[in-house]
Amino acid sequence: MSEPSADLILDRVIHEPGRLAILTVLSSVNNADFVFLQRTTRLTKGNLSSHLTKLEEAGLVKIQKRFVHKKPNTNVALTAHGKQRIAQHWDQLERLKNLSKTTDQQ
Amino acid sequence: MQQTDLETAAAKYSYLRGLFFVPLGVLFILAALANWEVGPLRHTWAFPVAALAVAAACLPIGRYYNEHYGRLSPSVRQQIRGGVAVLIALAVMIGASLLLRSRADWSLDLPVNATAVTFALVMLISYGIGIGLKAHHVIIWGIVLVAGALPVWNGADPSNIGLVIAGIAVIVTGVFDHRLFVHTFGSAKILGPEDGDVRTQR
Repeated sequence: MSEPSADLILDRVIHEPGRLAILTVLSSVNNADFVFLQRTTRLTKGNLSSHLTKLEEAGLVKIQKRFVHKKPNTNVALTAHGKQRIAQHWDQLERLKNLSKTTDQQ
Repeated sequence: MQQTDLETAAAKYSYLRGLFFVPLGVLFILAALANWEVGPLRHTWAFPVAALAVAAACLPIGRYYNEHYGRLSPSVRQQIRGGVAVLIALAVMIGASLLLRSRADWSLDLPVNATAVTFALVMLISYGIGIGLKAHHVIIWGIVLVAGALPVWNGADPSNIGLVIAGIAVIVTGVFDHRLFVHTFGSAKILGPEDGDVRTQR
């Protein structure tokens, strides 16, 4: 069996559904807080927290802990690297989709 | 949520926080009542005070949305889109109201309610650019547009009635927007403010 093209190998850090949802939401904003991400991704707080930690470790998001009106608030934004990677990932998924269509037609 | 839903969540968050529209609609109606010099609103100080009270009512609404649904800073793209919508809305509001019924030489001076018509157009354009028109936007503002464009507004300047119509339509739109907001992001009860920020609690 031949080696799969590098173009077809998905980055598992990004491709996991929860993390893909988080990165996709963050790609449409400058930054968002934990509650907004929880609302949009419908992840539990434990899952969201764990995914954010993984994304931060991978250098895809930057996390800022702050206080807003004396209440703790976690603000999350994509890093430049994260912006590039999520855009590439969606392009890659699009290419895979097109490839699958082409294969079906043959 | 699907990819498109995730990508448009921020725009929906910004546009569909409909509870803000309730005090705004009340403000429009109060402005009309002040123009008619009804009750205590006949005093010159009354409307600014009422406007301040309405602005104060927005504070708990903002707090409700922030605590239950989170905070975000829109992308540059979304800010530009919002800016374009505002510019187009202003141009339509000024241009259409002067064209339809005004003292300008080039005004068509039609027997229409220019306030209702221009406001309906502005709302339809800004929602159309921002998040795409939803059924309730088309129905509510379509009715206002048609009502304002009917050639029955002869006689005295109908601007104040237009303000009342717009105010009621803004309130109704706000209620429906908020329902859609809750449908999109879930009930406020699902996530209390104390539940929100687990990372800082660990």
